[in-house]
Amino acid sequence: MTNSQILEQIASNLYKGEDKVVADLVQQALDQEVSPADILNGGLIAGMDEVGKDFKAGDLFVPEVLIAARAMHAGMNILRPLLAESDVPSAGKYVIGTVQGDLHDIGKNLVKMMLEGAGFETVDLGTDVRPDDFVAAVREHQPQFVGMSALLTTTMPGMKATIEGLEEAGLRDTVKIMVGGAPLTAAFAEQIGADAYAPDAATAVDVARGLMA
Amino acid sequence: MTVQTPVETLHPTIQMLSDEQAQAIHHTSLDILSRTGIVMKNEAGRELLLEAGAWESGERIKIPPLLVMDAIASAPSRIPMHNRLGELTMPLEASKVFFGPGSDCPFTIDVETGERRKATAEDVRRIAQLCDDLDQIDFVMSMGTPSDVPPLDHYLHSFINMIRGSVKPNVYTANNREDMEDMYRIACAVAGGEAELREKPFLLHYAEPISPLLFNDESVDKVLFCAEKGIPVTCLPSPNTGGGGPITLAGALALGNAECLAGLALSQLVRPGTPFLYGMNTAALDMKSAIVSYGSPEWPLGMAACTDLARYYDLPVWGTAGATDSKVVDAQAGIEATVAVMAAFLTRCNLVHDVGYIEYGTTSSVEMLVVVDEIIREVRYIMGGVEVSERTLAREAIHRARPGGGFLADDHTLDNWKWAQWRPALIDRMRYDNWVEKGRQDMTTRANERARQILAEHQVPPLPEAAEEVIAEVVKEREAR
Repeated sequence: MTNSQILEQIASNLYKGEDKVVADLVQQALDQEVSPADILNGGLIAGMDEVGKDFKAGDLFVPEVLIAARAMHAGMNILRPLLAESDVPSAGKYVIGTVQGDLHDIGKNLVKMMLEGAGFETVDLGTDVRPDDFVAAVREHQPQFVGMSALLTTTMPGMKATIEGLEEAGLRDTVKIMVGGAPLTAAFAEQIGADAYAPDAATAVDVARGLMA
Repeated sequence: MTVQTPVETLHPTIQMLSDEQAQAIHHTSLDILSRTGIVMKNEAGRELLLEAGAWESGERIKIPPLLVMDAIASAPSRIPMHNRLGELTMPLEASKVFFGPGSDCPFTIDVETGERRKATAEDVRRIAQLCDDLDQIDFVMSMGTPSDVPPLDHYLHSFINMIRGSVKPNVYTANNREDMEDMYRIACAVAGGEAELREKPFLLHYAEPISPLLFNDESVDKVLFCAEKGIPVTCLPSPNTGGGGPITLAGALALGNAECLAGLALSQLVRPGTPFLYGMNTAALDMKSAIVSYGSPEWPLGMAACTDLARYYDLPVWGTAGATDSKVVDAQAGIEATVAVMAAFLTRCNLVHDVGYIEYGTTSSVEMLVVVDEIIREVRYIMGGVEVSERTLAREAIHRARPGGGFLADDHTLDNWKWAQWRPALIDRMRYDNWVEKGRQDMTTRANERARQILAEHQVPPLPEAAEEVIAEVVKEREAR
């Protein structure tokens, strides 16, 4: 297979969730001296972009997305050490968490998976994350993004508190802040000074990319 | 003829689980509690369980079967829910089925403009007032998250507006123990005292763990509070298939059963005999949009199975019906509501909530409430069964009928038409020309008109003065903070 054929094969097998095939093809591509960056962008991310596009259009189901993400991980497991060596930039670093007092994470985890599929590097702070912990994570990891999730209306104020915490720490301008969760709205996001709101995991990636541009 | 025993009327039921199925689920739940265990984030809850024979295993608490079986034995099989006037209007007991709306919708469909907008405290009162008049609705829930009050106080304002808007029993939610204490003060002022409230409870608290198996601090605290006071409570998990619960319904039921029984155990350890409403929510997590699907058939299916489990335990049981994922009150809304209402009746689920929910519970709709009120009215009629008796067999009328003629003018028809046939209140059976002349209205439009009429005309007895005084105190204390 030519190099571009292999990349196409990686993308289409990733789309179908064929994790073992993807892993083999990634190795084969490396053996054919395709660069890790090209494999990542032209193979893996290209495949996940198709997944994201079809998911957003309502043509794919979440389990199909997750199975594709699994195939992406299989490919990434081989690529990761090589990417670190050759200093390939990710699409961006994204700190994500569910706010203080809230233990719900299904939505947050879905967003995280979609972001990783799009080539973002994620730092998952888990649930019940205090404003101070978001601030500390921004200081430590220097991400481009902070994403906050909440399912309970009573925990939504924690989002504003976190944004204020980042302002006080002089870090607000270093990140783009996104918020989401069932009771959230674009109006609320604007009110608290977030940069963007995404209504679901499928849109979150597009919104993040839009903020980078 | 000597007096004969009449032919009994059968009232239809469905059975969703055989005894074997129920047993298998029950044993799985006991196994989940004793071998997988729960995570208990509330200190008092943890101590209660450990003292009663549960043990720690890593970060889990494992609960032995005996603890669970004792709790099932001590919990009452009947919760005598009253209205706030002290009348027994909703005894939650075997074979009785009661309906009501749901709580905490962030949005509502404005009854005047049709606009989807944020809910307010006045919406909570208004919807309670509507429910107060709808004769197929037995209890109220808030149906709104008021956006025009301080965010941490919205449960309190919902509670106040619910009880002002309706005398019917209510199912309420709260943020934490502090909310519960304030609501309890108000409730005691309404009932006339703590003992009076315990004897004739008009409120039932809805609390929930986070499936799978996570018992968070505030939720447990609220269950403990109710047990301390001896007032009715639930601890209702939502192991939605593919979400908080396994994708396969039996697993979701076993998990939900385990979680509910753990909540039951807590309540009975604090005060044996605490009135506890058993149940769970088994919606499907939609695999395209990732919403919790209120119209999914998994839910009524699971509700019927859950009600069979409740019968196995002899506990009163919770359920859900009358809700839709549709964003409008359309055919989909009608379908989803009717399937669940029928299931609720046929399985004899005691307390059935979420009537009037649209957009998977995000938005409340008075039109949906009025439409589902009619659905309940019609399905209730089916539940009446077919009376087979001398008066209904109409033997003499048949004997005198002119072959090829009809019964319209027969004495038997004229004597019995009022009770023998069902008559719609909202459903339309007009002739075409009449329907055109009356404005070509569809059911949702008629529902809106009916809602407006009720809201304009229906009067609700005010709260006792003592209760309004306590409300004023409570609100003032909150504002001072």
